[in-house]
Amino acid sequence: MSALLEIRELVTAYGKIEALKGVSLDVEQGSITCLLGPNGAGKTTLMMTIAGILRPRSGSIRFAGKEIAGRPPHAIVAGGAALVPENRLVFPNMTVLENLHAGAYQRRDDEIEPDMEKSFRRFPRLKERSNQNAGTLSGGEQQMLVVARALMSRPKLLLMDEPSLGLAPLVVEEIFRIIVQLHQDGVSIFLVEQNAHMALKVAQHFYLMEQGKVSFSGTPGALAEDEVIRRAYLGSAKA
Amino acid sequence: MIFDLIQNTFDGLAMGASYALLAVGFTLVFGVLRRVNLSYGPAIMFGCYSATWVSLSFHSNVFSLLGITVLGSVLAGTYVERLCFAPHRQGSAIAAMVASFALWMQFEEVVTLVMPKHLYDFPPMFDGESLAFGPLSLRVEALVMLACALSICYALHRMLFRSRFGLAVRAVIDAPVAAQLAGINVPRILLLVFLLASAIGGLAGWLIVSTHTQVTPMLGMWSTLKGLLAMMIGGLGSLPGAVIGGLALGVLEAHSQWFLGPQARDLIAYLLLFVLLAWRPRWMTTQSAS
Amino acid sequence: MDDYTVGVLTNIGLISFIALSAYLLILAGEMSFGQQGFFGVGAYVAGVATAMYGIPLPVAAAMAMGAGAAAAFLVGLPTLRLRGLYFAMATLAAAEMLRIVFELIHFQREIEGDPVGPDGTQGFRGIRWVFENGVEPEGYLAMVWGLLFGVMVLFLLVERSKLGTTLRMVGEDPELARMLGVHVERFKLGVVAAAGALAALGGALYAHHNTYIEPRNFDIMLGVHSLAYALIGGLGTAFGPLLGVLVDIGVLEGSRVFQGYRMIVFGGLVAILLVFRPRGLLDEKVVHWLKARFISS
Repeated sequence: MSALLEIRELVTAYGKIEALKGVSLDVEQGSITCLLGPNGAGKTTLMMTIAGILRPRSGSIRFAGKEIAGRPPHAIVAGGAALVPENRLVFPNMTVLENLHAGAYQRRDDEIEPDMEKSFRRFPRLKERSNQNAGTLSGGEQQMLVVARALMSRPKLLLMDEPSLGLAPLVVEEIFRIIVQLHQDGVSIFLVEQNAHMALKVAQHFYLMEQGKVSFSGTPGALAEDEVIRRAYLGSAKA
Repeated sequence: MIFDLIQNTFDGLAMGASYALLAVGFTLVFGVLRRVNLSYGPAIMFGCYSATWVSLSFHSNVFSLLGITVLGSVLAGTYVERLCFAPHRQGSAIAAMVASFALWMQFEEVVTLVMPKHLYDFPPMFDGESLAFGPLSLRVEALVMLACALSICYALHRMLFRSRFGLAVRAVIDAPVAAQLAGINVPRILLLVFLLASAIGGLAGWLIVSTHTQVTPMLGMWSTLKGLLAMMIGGLGSLPGAVIGGLALGVLEAHSQWFLGPQARDLIAYLLLFVLLAWRPRWMTTQSAS
Repeated sequence: MDDYTVGVLTNIGLISFIALSAYLLILAGEMSFGQQGFFGVGAYVAGVATAMYGIPLPVAAAMAMGAGAAAAFLVGLPTLRLRGLYFAMATLAAAEMLRIVFELIHFQREIEGDPVGPDGTQGFRGIRWVFENGVEPEGYLAMVWGLLFGVMVLFLLVERSKLGTTLRMVGEDPELARMLGVHVERFKLGVVAAAGALAALGGALYAHHNTYIEPRNFDIMLGVHSLAYALIGGLGTAFGPLLGVLVDIGVLEGSRVFQGYRMIVFGGLVAILLVFRPRGLLDEKVVHWLKARFISS
């Protein structure tokens, strides 16, 4: 049985500089898969390429059996993959409600309102602020908003790029609680994280990425945690 | 003397209403694409000339010519968007603008090739009726222009804040990458906004040529300049600003022309723009416009 | 060489000055819709100097350059802090104001019984210093191109020097330049003044070639054209703007085939070219390649 997301030999370049030098990995249906690695390894480039914001130079991305490499972002969302980007890209001058509606943009069904209710149950703090401009929310609230917004498209696969970045520890715990909850609700999650400790606690499988390629693939526990953390922050020692 | 002032103000507001519509079109494109379309006026001119050609070849009602003008402007606008703005969406603003200038040249030449006379008559909107209020007179066209400007603004406001399309437009303006990630087809939205701006421009063009009952090749450059001036005076990128800028420009011009003559009229408008730009508050300097 | 060809070639040279002036500003990261204003300033100042006060052309040209630099300086001083489009609009406003001023100036002297001088919208006739001093069209052509050649040499020298690197850096990454100690605002102001002087020199020569100038000559079309020439020809080298002018005036004027369709063809070609080469024909990559191929070390 093929994985929900299959990436093979993906190459993405900025001009002459190759940020992804042939990445291959799988995300299994119904799993939380996590991608760790030092800054500059290419993790965000990978996420942006899957989401369609960047076009790969070569390689393949198969999602739910269909080739999506190089397709435009709105087609990727239509196919059922939504990205929660790094840096909490909210629509700052639109209200929380409007941000959520934007997430549901492609939907024409009549379950949008019930889904919004569900979002507010999951993220109660957003409900309090539903008519406030997203730019005035705190970091943690904005992170919740971006996750909620991505969920409004009812994705099969949720891509998350460093959701805990810059957030207080209590907020980070809340985010991970939500990730686990989503997983229990049947959403597959592909998570990029700097916080290796928390990520390994929730993931079923993880990859290490260094300098544009996958350098390790395994289950949490396959490597000693301190070894993983070392490589996630510093990369492998070069001889 | 006071009546002169009031009459000038009326006349200025009427002219200003057409400037406001032109500015609104510019603002839509600038707000969403962050680019200035130098072919905006020329595309409108193409629409007006198409209508003129139809009016010369067939007996037509001036209001049906409105449809032709808008259609012509939208067709021309599509051509411009596809060739000048879509290819440079992620690239250089200068290239898009110079390309739009190149197409401006094309429009002017096409129009003068097909209709070589310097001036053509355009059927009047109404047969020169004026409403009189004591010593003041107000042309009916002026009221129509004002009514159009105000209704378009209202309609745009409702569209932006109450419709799904408007939500997408605001999202693209607010955070274009986030809009893409939310599943909004950004290239399609950009094209639609462009076409909407062209349609509004076509309406503005029709209002202008059916009021002045004539069409000249200078219409292209003239509309672009007035629209740009009004947009910048009112504050770049804001729709209410575009309307205020347009009306203000109209009134300023009417008064300057009355007291000081036509050159002074233009000089003062440019001077105002220059002064506003040179001494304007932070929002013009910190916001990147290119 | 027949008069027509001499005329076309001279024209190419003259317009190259203003195209180079727009190019210089693009290198510094600024887009100007207003260089035609300084072109006009140069034309009027030089014309007044030679036709009304008998000042020899070289001196008049120098005065024109000074005036152009001063005018540009005054325009740039309050506006350079504006970003991209706002600066472009300010230059447009300034150039239009200058043009209207030309329309309003009535300043004439009696020279040998006839009024000579700018006469508002009627223009300024009788700028005949070149003819009165026995310079033949070919001679003038040589002079224009000689000066242009000098300017090009200057450009090429600057491009290889530290000044040139600073210029491009200020244009592409002003923050970096600032960090390296460049006073970006002052530098840009200098560039604006230099570009103004360059445009004014072109204007001075233009006035003496045509012997008649009017405010309409210095309208927005000229300004946007010069920007277009710089961009089309290519931003990689000072030959770029020259190439842009050559292509437009030279090829399309010279080959009568496109009579009447010139702008349709040219406009379409420009737009299509820019899709594939947004930085022009001789963009930085091509110039690099050419240098590597022909100036190998």
